[in-house]
Formats: sequence, structure tokens, C-alpha cells
Amino acid sequence: MYKYTPHIWLCLVVMFVQIFLLDNIDLGASISIWVRPMIFPLIVLLLPVEWRSIWVLLVTYVVALLMDLLLGGSGIYVITLLPIALFRSALLFLTTRRSMDSTDQSQLLARMPLGQLMVYVATSLLLYHTLFFVMETLSLANFFSLLMTIILSTLCSLLISWPIVRLFTSKVY
Amino acid sequence: MHRLLEFIKRIYVVLLFLLLECIAIWQYATSSPYTEAKILSRTTAVGGYISKKITNVDHFFSLSGENELLNRRIAELEQTLERERELLADYAEASWQRKMAEEEDLHYRYYPARVASMTISHQRNYIVLDKGERDGIKKNMGVITPDKNLVGYIIYSSDRYSVAMPVLNTEFTMGASLSMTNYTCSLRWSGSSPYHVDIVDVSTYAQPEVGMAVEAWSERLPKGVIVGHIESFEHNAAQTAYSARLKLAADMSALDNVLIVENTHYGEIESLMDNLEGQSTPNGATK
Repeated sequence: MYKYTPHIWLCLVVMFVQIFLLDNIDLGASISIWVRPMIFPLIVLLLPVEWRSIWVLLVTYVVALLMDLLLGGSGIYVITLLPIALFRSALLFLTTRRSMDSTDQSQLLARMPLGQLMVYVATSLLLYHTLFFVMETLSLANFFSLLMTIILSTLCSLLISWPIVRLFTSKVY
Repeated sequence: MHRLLEFIKRIYVVLLFLLLECIAIWQYATSSPYTEAKILSRTTAVGGYISKKITNVDHFFSLSGENELLNRRIAELEQTLERERELLADYAEASWQRKMAEEEDLHYRYYPARVASMTISHQRNYIVLDKGERDGIKKNMGVITPDKNLVGYIIYSSDRYSVAMPVLNTEFTMGASLSMTNYTCSLRWSGSSPYHVDIVDVSTYAQPEVGMAVEAWSERLPKGVIVGHIESFEHNAAQTAYSARLKLAADMSALDNVLIVENTHYGEIESLMDNLEGQSTPNGATK
């Protein structure tokens, strides 16, 4: 349990920042339409790599359910976060070009070159934001504005997430 | 059972993912009228698309049966039509009730059949049909397509099968007439093209035109069976008659369903002709 204390802290801090800061920050109506940063997928992305898929899926479900309850998502956070948990291994494999079945996985995130780590986080966030905004609008009628929202929100989320990722991977692993 | 459990054990994470996703989607769909309408319309569209594809596949596999049913229906309708025509023609002489009761007195009967095998590349081509004597098929019955184009006539029948001589046979002979006129001629095949036949001995009084339909003129077939349409015509060397090249109305290379036509009076006509030949009259040539 002690081993996972940093992860629990990460979860609490990220959820706190997301709920009380990012979701309440007032950037003005014209900016809020385009930029809606979401950093809580980091909780899933930074879960121990050696964990079995079933634990990753269940923890993600609990986190997403909490987000739904606290932000009134009515299920949208579960719908969009579970695929990230399911494809996390594949994303890591594609980014690092190494099998996730190898025994030496515990330090994988810390040993990853910064470029690969950046690609892993950015791709995952992009995937998450795409799923989220498509599910939210349920329409491709305003495709280009949807695309702009996805890109700008992903970039903003990445900017906020990156210091947290660096801090976490350097201190914890 | 063991294998099934092994399989489920291997994919249980994906199954759990799908289950959780379904629950979340259901919860999200019922959360507001907008999401309900949007997701319902999407699922209906996807469901409709899949259902349509499945129906198309089902429909494709049932086409053969439907085709056979349609062919049988065409035969029935042709028979009914023939009966109606005869009833109309004989209305002045006999009552409708008497004619309806005399089913066996029909002039033409139609039997649906399918081509079992055929050739079109030889000089003497033949068609094997999947109906034989036990279906009532006899020698000298006519063979036409369901849309009433000439194919040939039966020359041999066994218990289950029959053989027809198609128009694409150099030994094939039959009378023909220019449509809407009484000018008759002879039909033959030169053996060159499987899409063309020739008519010869067309009267010089006839005025053939390109595109004019030519009908079969034979005791084996009812009126109105189209042989083909005139593609070109010319005077013969002695300038005493026309000969013409016809484009066949029936596509002999894609023949599948056909109708076999029985002239119920054919035996009577044949015995009459035999009697005439027995008396050595020179005018006994059949059409």
C-alpha cells in the first residue's frame, strides 16, 4: 500500500486541480468555448505499468465514476476514460517499441526518453479529448470548430500536465 | 464448454470493458432529451444499416427460389391469358361456363423449365431442359423465353429431361412472318453468329424495314412469339424475294428460365398432314 501512496496523492491532487481550479476558472466566454483543459487522464496514464489490465480498468472506472459524480457528467467520463485504460498498454508499446510483458517494467516511465514520454502523454490526451468532445456534442455538424476545440484543449492540457508528469516520474520512480 | 471458459478467461478484460461502457452509455443516453434523441437516432441508423445488410444477404440466397416461383407464375398467367383469349374469340359461339369447364380443350399450355446445359458455339447446338415426359413434355413442343421470344422446339424427351433444338442450329427450320403483316418467310441460321439469324423468301410485295419485328409462324407456337428484329435486308440475286438478317430477340448466351409451349391441337394437325402425305399430295410440307 505504501508503495502506491504517491499514486494516491497524484490522484487527489489532479482531481482537486481539475474540479476546483480548471473547471471553475473563468477565461471568458469566447475562450472557454475553445479551451477546456482536462488533466485527470494523467491518473490513468501514470498508473504503475506493471499492473494487470483488470486493475487498471477497475481503478479507472472508480476515478471516472467519481468525476461523473463530482462534475455531473452522467456517464460521459466513464465512457471516455475507459478506452484510455484499455489502450494504455498499446499506446505505451507503440511509443516505446517494447513489449509490456517484459519483467523490468516498474521503472519504464522514468526510463523513457523525454520525447517518448511526451508523445505518450500527448497522444493519450489527444485521444481522450477527441472522445470527450465527440461524445459531448454527438454531432459532426460543426466539424472544424470541434476540431479546433480538441486541438486547443489538448495543447492546453499538455502544457498543464507536463510539469506534473515530469515531477511525478522523476520523484516517484 | 472448457474451451468456452478458456476463451472467456482470455478476453474477460475486454468483456468487462464492454459491459462498463454499455452501462455508462445507457446512463449518458438517458441523462437528457438531447443525448437520448442523438444516441437513439445513431443506434437506430446503425441497427437499420446492419438489418438492411442481413436482409440483402437473405434476399440474395432466396433469389433462386423466387425466380422459380415467378417463372411458374408466368406460365400460369400465360395459360390464363391464352384461355381468356380463346374465351373472347369463341364468345359468340359458346358460353363462358362451358369453356371454363373444358380445361383440357385449351389450345396452348405452358410449362416452366430451366436450362440444364446448352451449347452455342457449334454448328449443331442443343439445349437440355430439366423437364421431361413425367412433366408432360413431348416432342415438337415449342420453347420460348418468359418474355415470349423464340428459343426453339423440343426434339427429344426422356423421363426427366428433354432436348430442344434451338434456333442456333443449322438444321433448324421454321416459318416466320413479318410482324403486323401476313407476309411469311423461312427462318434459318447460317452458323456464323450466335446473335443473328436469317430469313429468306420474303415476298417482294412486303416492305421490310430495319428494326421491324419478325414473329415465329408455326403450329408449335402461339401467335406473337418474336424471333428478332431486322438489322439489314436485300434483294436476292434474281430480284424475286428479299432476304434479311435479324438480331435475335432472345439472348441465347444467357438463357436460364424458359417456357415450353404445347399446342394441344398439334397431334391432330400432324395426323392430318400424315394423311395428306399418305395420299401423295405434294403440299404436305409442314411449317
